[in-house]
Amino acid sequence: MQVKLGRHAFGDEPLMMAIVNRTPDSFFDKGATWAEDAAFARVAEVVAQGAEIVDIGGIKAAPGVEISAAEEKDRVVDFVAQVRETYPDLVISVDTWRAEVGAAVCEVGADVLNDAWGGADPELVDVAAQYDAAIICTHTGGVTPRTRPYRIEYDDVVAAAIADTVAYAERALAAGVARESIVIDPAHDFGKNTFHSLEVTRRLGEMVATGWPVLVSLSNKDFVGETLGLEVGERLLGTLAATSVCALAGARIYRVHQVVETRQTVDMVWSIAGRRPPLRAIRGIQ
Amino acid sequence: MIALVPGVPALLPAYASLQDPVAELRAACLSAVARLGPRVRVVASGPSGLRVGAALVAAASAEVVGEGETGVLVVGNGSAKRTEKAPGHLDPRAEAFDAGLRASFADIDLALAEELWADAACLGGLPPLAEADVRYDDAPFGVQYWVAVWSR
Repeated sequence: MQVKLGRHAFGDEPLMMAIVNRTPDSFFDKGATWAEDAAFARVAEVVAQGAEIVDIGGIKAAPGVEISAAEEKDRVVDFVAQVRETYPDLVISVDTWRAEVGAAVCEVGADVLNDAWGGADPELVDVAAQYDAAIICTHTGGVTPRTRPYRIEYDDVVAAAIADTVAYAERALAAGVARESIVIDPAHDFGKNTFHSLEVTRRLGEMVATGWPVLVSLSNKDFVGETLGLEVGERLLGTLAATSVCALAGARIYRVHQVVETRQTVDMVWSIAGRRPPLRAIRGIQ
Repeated sequence: MIALVPGVPALLPAYASLQDPVAELRAACLSAVARLGPRVRVVASGPSGLRVGAALVAAASAEVVGEGETGVLVVGNGSAKRTEKAPGHLDPRAEAFDAGLRASFADIDLALAEELWADAACLGGLPPLAEADVRYDDAPFGVQYWVAVWSR
């Protein structure tokens, strides 16, 4: 199944989306790439590591100081323009739920709008359609952006994730976004407790079976931390275990902090699944 | 027209890698098989060799036949004990054995061939390599391969 992300078309291969925070307070890097030159160095690093996509975000997901649309644009628009100019072949995704910000970044060359908050701003799909950008349709259980899940219950969390993301995808399609430019994401930990995120991981194949390409964002999240009793800096192995399960199910895009480790994990699983030949096998067949 | 290729399973489509570990060998085999015409009889000593032969014939857009052939493809190779890392580990007799085959395929010691993991059972009728267009002669993974074509 072809995936078209703005100007860039891909076949069946799994894609790495590297997280680049233009925030002073994101949970994993704690503001390490808040300064523009540090963020730019992060882009250079992940490009060298082979990431096809960067996901640039100007607002951390967790609750905190309110960031206006103007402030969010200050953080990301010029930066996107600069990355676009330096890396013409790189897919640029912007993590935003605001249509106003989406339009501003698409104007300077963004390819993907990663709406981590599940369509909170209904006009975001129109912006994607207008700029022929791709859109990531996530499931949040209807929560308000930047709120934590609190006592949320589902009859069936996977069925809810499928119903909401597919409905969002169909809304995007109706708004004029190209079918191959629509991606769904169960959004681990968004509107979900740890048990929900584990179940979504275990049953990811059901989301893949919808036929929409699936993105997973597992990297160092709390469901990994709570499952293993590990702090933020200690969750790589748990993240990669969850990544393996999602890869076996056929997730197409991996939103990650650690590009090299995730690529290795996904390549290995992709080969186990028979979707990727070994790099170079000769042992026993020479 | 007769061609000789080694029965290397890495040549099979089912064992393809992203980076071909036998790219040169494959190119040599395909160029040799291409000279055998549209109907090729495959002579091999086992299922693996027959599979490899058939795959190469198919890759050359030719057909495997039992009779009425335009060319014969012989599948076989020298010892698989040429180096420490060879499939059969190093046997000091292997190099001389392969040198003997290189000089002549007549009077092959088949018992020794078996000991040295050489797929030589079908090589006996071949004319000497000196009379052939030899397109490959190397042991890159501790196994001696030849690719050769005889125009007769």
